[in-house]
Amino acid sequence: MKLWQKAAAACAGVLALVVAVCSAGMLLYARHTILNSSRAQIRAKQRDLAVSFSEMTNYYRLDTDTGPVRASLVNYCFSRFADESSVLMQGSETVSSALTIDPSKWLDLSEAQDMPADGQRTFEGPIDGRDIFMAASLVHIRGEEYAVYTVADVTDVHRDLTVMGGIFLAVSLAGIAAGAGAVTLLMRRGARPLAALSVAAKRIAGGEYEVRADVGTKDEIGALAADFNTMAAAVQTRVDELTETAQRQRLFIGGVNHEFKTPLTAILLHTRLLQQVNLTEAERAQSLSHIERQCTWLERLTQKLLKTISLRQDVEKTPVPARELADRVLSSTRQILSDRNVTLLTDWDESELLVDADLMQSLLVNLVDNASKAYDPGDADRTVRLTVRENVLEVRDMGRGIPPEALERIFEPFYMVDKSRSKKHGGSGLGLALAKQIADAHGARLDVTSTPGEGTAFRVELPAG
Amino acid sequence: MKNRILIVEDDEAIASAVALSLRVAGYDCAVFDDGAKAADSLPGDHAYDLALLDIMLPGVDGFELFDHMQTYHIPVIYMTAKTDSASEIRGLRDGAEDYVVKPFDVQTLMVRIEKVLRRTGRLNTVYRVRDVELNSETKTVTRSGQPVYLQPLEFGVLLMLLRYKNMTVTREQLMTEVWGYDYVGETRVLDIKIHSLRKKLDLTDAIRTLPKLGYRLEER
Repeated sequence: MKLWQKAAAACAGVLALVVAVCSAGMLLYARHTILNSSRAQIRAKQRDLAVSFSEMTNYYRLDTDTGPVRASLVNYCFSRFADESSVLMQGSETVSSALTIDPSKWLDLSEAQDMPADGQRTFEGPIDGRDIFMAASLVHIRGEEYAVYTVADVTDVHRDLTVMGGIFLAVSLAGIAAGAGAVTLLMRRGARPLAALSVAAKRIAGGEYEVRADVGTKDEIGALAADFNTMAAAVQTRVDELTETAQRQRLFIGGVNHEFKTPLTAILLHTRLLQQVNLTEAERAQSLSHIERQCTWLERLTQKLLKTISLRQDVEKTPVPARELADRVLSSTRQILSDRNVTLLTDWDESELLVDADLMQSLLVNLVDNASKAYDPGDADRTVRLTVRENVLEVRDMGRGIPPEALERIFEPFYMVDKSRSKKHGGSGLGLALAKQIADAHGARLDVTSTPGEGTAFRVELPAG
Repeated sequence: MKNRILIVEDDEAIASAVALSLRVAGYDCAVFDDGAKAADSLPGDHAYDLALLDIMLPGVDGFELFDHMQTYHIPVIYMTAKTDSASEIRGLRDGAEDYVVKPFDVQTLMVRIEKVLRRTGRLNTVYRVRDVELNSETKTVTRSGQPVYLQPLEFGVLLMLLRYKNMTVTREQLMTEVWGYDYVGETRVLDIKIHSLRKKLDLTDAIRTLPKLGYRLEER
């Protein structure tokens, strides 16, 4: 059973109980009041009748008359006040009555011992299938005793009361039903945000991390949903990060795999050739030189790879004069630049940079090496400019530039804009990735801007302070 | 007629090793280091029995190059470093005959090449060394045009040596291929067959014994 169903059932139950008790109480009270007022009315009527009748007989001084005259007078006096409910009896004899029943059968006034102080007695009960209420008292006229009855048929009152009870019951039931319905609806609506939360939680558990719960309420459940969404956002961010890291690592491993397989295949093939085939002297020498070159290449690749991987260690920052850094780059790129017939122009100021000198040198050498490959054989102006100033280092060439679509990928490991050209220069696809890692390890920004046909500039911005 | 094979591989070291191996084994080879160049050359010269294609190529990649090969009905074997199944599936679904994953060895490659050539009915069935000619289709051997009778096992050994001409064929390979099971222990039967081949066909100096390794049929 769901929470909202439980709550709705409980509310409906309590509501039903309250309504039932209230209705019953009200019904009993109303019944009591109505019956009492009806009885009081009848009793008052009887009292009026008895008093008026008694006074009128006094007025006519009935003592002087006797016999039939007197009886006739009594009858007359009674008839002046009587109506269809009035009965006058003398002993067990009916003097005047519009009724078919004999009221003295049910209300016998002769048993005077329990007569109340006002002399009026009443009876209430069913007679001939009708509900009857009657009141009676004795009137003494010159030594003769008459009984004055007022007999009222209260069947209608009882019936009205029954009808009223029915109406009460119907209204109560309708009220309970409406109340229970309203409570159910309310509870259901109240529980709907919880269902939405549950659905969202299940979908997130199923891997749809971008799902959020939209409950549209501002109550506690709304607050819970907001917290839930905050949590979901945090989870999503973390999952995205992990996914991205995993993706990067997979790409990296894939790259490593690919880059190692090609030279390994070549070495394997040439080794087998040397082992199994009767090669000529020239072919043998050629095969060996292939093997040597591939091994050298693997060695370089391994070193760069190790550097890339092991860069997680702490960077030892010391103040290094800009000039020293520029000189170190100049001397360690001299050979490769002269091979490519490229000139390196350096520019520095008197500042000191707070960096790991070896790593920063490695970064700049990689950038200069990369820049020197930007020239095609026919290019006339073949210069690379290195600028080292306080907190800003820049390497700029005026070569062929990098296509815009390649620009955002150049820091990826093993990414090469032009694979075959890069290979000719002995490029591994790791240089810029390594530079990026060194920059990251320094907390520095490494940006690149490039215009195809005009050149490329790499800029390292060290964190201030 | 030698089988002619097109090699498109941008790594020079691999290309040269494959080409050299195939040449000494009696194939003709043409090598391209660029997909676009290979594609451009096809309209002028497409008399190839098979193409060996790298997948990651500058210019036009291996998959694209495959379409050009289709035009001239050249069967294709991919040489790839991509081990992920996606590219394998794509390569084979497109109709490539086979693929080898780097690093591979040349004998594996040659076995696959032969399979493809045989399947496509292009395999050269006539092998020659000096004045000896073996026809694997008709199972006949001639020397200077005169038929020579060889026992079935002798024929099998000679065919193996001819197929991997100038390459070392190990004793294990010969036993497995010719005798048809992994032979353990005494392999003197092989030495006897070699001896009789040398005598019958006058190939004493051509069939070289490589102690503890195997034999090599040399002709350079």
